[in-house]
Amino acid sequence: MKLLIGQILPYITVTLFTLGVLYRLGRWVGPRIVHNITLSPWPKTNTEVAIRVGSEAFLFRNLFRFDKALWVGAIMMHLALLNIIGGHVVGFGFLGEQFALIPGLGITPELSTEMSDMLGTVFGILLFVTLLYLLFRRLTIPHVKLVSKPSDNMWLIYLIVLVGVGNIMRLFHDFGVGYEQVRDYIVALALFQPVTHMELLSNGFFLTHYLLVQILLIVFPYSKLMHLFGMFAERWIVNRVYKDPAPGIPNIDVAAARKAGIGIPSDDAAEEGV
Amino acid sequence: MPEYKGMVQPLRATPDEMRKIFAEPVPDEQKPEKALEYLDEIRKKFRSFVVAMESCVKCGQCAENCHTYLGTRDPNNIPANRAELIRKIYRRYFTLEGRWFGKLVGAEDISLDVIESWYSYFYQCSQCRRCAHVCPFGIDTCEVTFIGRQLLHWLGITPKLHAAVGGAMEKVGNHTGLPKPGIIDTLEFMSEEIMDEFGVEVEFPVDKPDSDIIYIPSSADFLLNPYTLMGAGMFFTYIGANWCIPSTVTEAGNFGLLFDQYYTQRGNVNRLLNAAHELNAKKIVWGECGHGWRAAKMYVPSMADRPVRWPLTHVHDEAAELIRKGELKLNPENNPYPTTLHDPCNYVRACGLNDNMRTIIKAVTVDFREMTPKGEDNFCCGGGSGILFDDPEMYQRRIQLSQKKADQVRATGIGKDGHGILCAPCSICKAQLYPMVEEHDLGVEVKGLVDLLGKALVWK
Ligand code: HEM
Ligand code: SF4
Ligand code: SF4
Ligand code: SF4
Repeated sequence: MKLLIGQILPYITVTLFTLGVLYRLGRWVGPRIVHNITLSPWPKTNTEVAIRVGSEAFLFRNLFRFDKALWVGAIMMHLALLNIIGGHVVGFGFLGEQFALIPGLGITPELSTEMSDMLGTVFGILLFVTLLYLLFRRLTIPHVKLVSKPSDNMWLIYLIVLVGVGNIMRLFHDFGVGYEQVRDYIVALALFQPVTHMELLSNGFFLTHYLLVQILLIVFPYSKLMHLFGMFAERWIVNRVYKDPAPGIPNIDVAAARKAGIGIPSDDAAEEGV
Repeated sequence: MPEYKGMVQPLRATPDEMRKIFAEPVPDEQKPEKALEYLDEIRKKFRSFVVAMESCVKCGQCAENCHTYLGTRDPNNIPANRAELIRKIYRRYFTLEGRWFGKLVGAEDISLDVIESWYSYFYQCSQCRRCAHVCPFGIDTCEVTFIGRQLLHWLGITPKLHAAVGGAMEKVGNHTGLPKPGIIDTLEFMSEEIMDEFGVEVEFPVDKPDSDIIYIPSSADFLLNPYTLMGAGMFFTYIGANWCIPSTVTEAGNFGLLFDQYYTQRGNVNRLLNAAHELNAKKIVWGECGHGWRAAKMYVPSMADRPVRWPLTHVHDEAAELIRKGELKLNPENNPYPTTLHDPCNYVRACGLNDNMRTIIKAVTVDFREMTPKGEDNFCCGGGSGILFDDPEMYQRRIQLSQKKADQVRATGIGKDGHGILCAPCSICKAQLYPMVEEHDLGVEVKGLVDLLGKALVWK
């Protein structure tokens, strides 16, 4: 088990994830943008495109405009997720001492670790709660229920379990793992050194959490989670710069035409003395 | 066959009518297999389709934002579910997850029933793009139904209405089947009408060589919306333009966009450019037609098969520009009644006409009231993409599809005294709304925007 999940599978996971994502992206690059289907009012410059797409990607602009309840749930969930993914990287990378590295703040390594723990706990719980909220929404709101497939609910449940196990490790220190253990493990993996002897891999909660993450990454390219890339691919098609051709009818002089009384019957014109 | 297993369907063209528009119907037993073959071909071509197929997260936001779901509460009229009718097939045959997980991810085998459901639900979609406008990713269900209708067309399933329009266009150059002598007669009659009503002399030149601009009216303006064409004639005369109407293209619409983007739409685009070429025109100005303006403005560049020498603008663009420059003398008192603007979807979500329409309407009316939502957020009239079917079942659907629009118009209060003006500057919107304002008893009259402009012109 340790050998499989801890030593062998990670390499397979990374390979399958990378190839899978490339395969999916490749499928989108082949077909072309045949006709211009940019949505109006369209952006007139690349800056405007960046603002539009950025506000959709990071602020969920459309959800905010058209469904506030969904916006709250979705943005909190993604925000928590983003912080947790980021937290995994820097937390393990710098052993929780990353904030001490920011110059000029005077944060001690101990304080930084505490902050890191705090943020992890808060976002972990937030992610758990928002996922529950999204699942509740999927099961209760009629029109959301009507568009859901079994896999949509399953993804949410899967993530809830994954995050739940992670939260247990964080909240109950007996079940948790130290930053250092994880860092050493990752370093060893990266250097292709044996890891099966490591204490980390004797922790059942860690193994479960770790296995769930790996399965997620393997299935990711074939799932709805590809919307991470799909979103940008779609926006690239529907939010493009467009410049209107200049209006203006050739060879007209409205003032002269009016002065000449074009269209006014000649008997009228005579009366008016034009 | 107005119904199939409980699904409403428009009356379909007969095999002979299909052949007239150059499509050979596929026998029923071969349809599923052929559908897959065509789908495979088309998915390798259109990224807009592939990304729409592969990126939806089923958040459901599009549901309450599509007038067809609001009006019918039919689950398949939720944009995400409408797209799902084809996505489940796409998944099953063209994705790994569909092959591996099947029903779990909503994959399904193709069958005649599925194809019939396409016919029902892709022809209830008015291709208004409100779903794309509200979707967090911009997923455009309109692209999906474009392609669904294309597949149906290749299988030999096209509504009688669309096929007839395609055939008439091929034959005489407009949708109503009006030949050149009829056009000239009608235009002369309009000149007389203008003289009687407005006391001005307006000529409608046809096929005048070396015209600076050619004007492409909607053919419905010859019969159903005469004031729109009269308004355009008055406007061009007023500004002293050297203009004409080409008799080979007396149609702003292009139903190819709506059922056959390959042969039919491309054919119409080239017919237009040939007319501009033959008359040696400098510019092409478009009349009031929503889908037609989209088909021209956005598709001519990719369908022209030649360098396009003629700038294309809409008559609203030109009028708004002159109003902004202060070159038109206008009397808004000529349009004294409370007026609201129905934004044709194609104008505001595909062609960027939002501001220009408002520049005009505010300059030519005294009591303009916006409806809510407005502009690019506006809802479709329910007739978009030519789903103006008259058979009883579909007509009932049309009433439901226009429910949201009716609610919006009522909320403005313009029809309270029974003399409101609902300005709907698109021929399909007009054709849908003429009967629908009666069905919903809105107390308003439907008019184009150029109609109001023409009335407001001060000649001396
Ligand atoms: C720029 C990146 C991303 C953007 C803009 C984005 C945007 C969205 C939006 C707008 C929704 C629909 C709202 C909802 O149903 O809650 C959504 C749903 C979802 N996203 Fe993302 N997302 C991104 C990245 C990710 C990533 C990396 C994951 C990875 C696990 C993820 C997981 C999910 C899940 C599971 C749902 C479905 C929620 C539900 O079923 O209700 N997203 N995303
Ligand atoms: S709004 Fe977009 S992502 Fe959400 S269900 Fe509709 S099409 Fe799918
Ligand atoms: S294009 Fe319009 S009618 Fe069609 S699904 Fe989208 S919102 Fe509904
Ligand atoms: S008919 Fe009018 S409102 Fe409806 S889709 Fe066309 S442009 Fe839109």
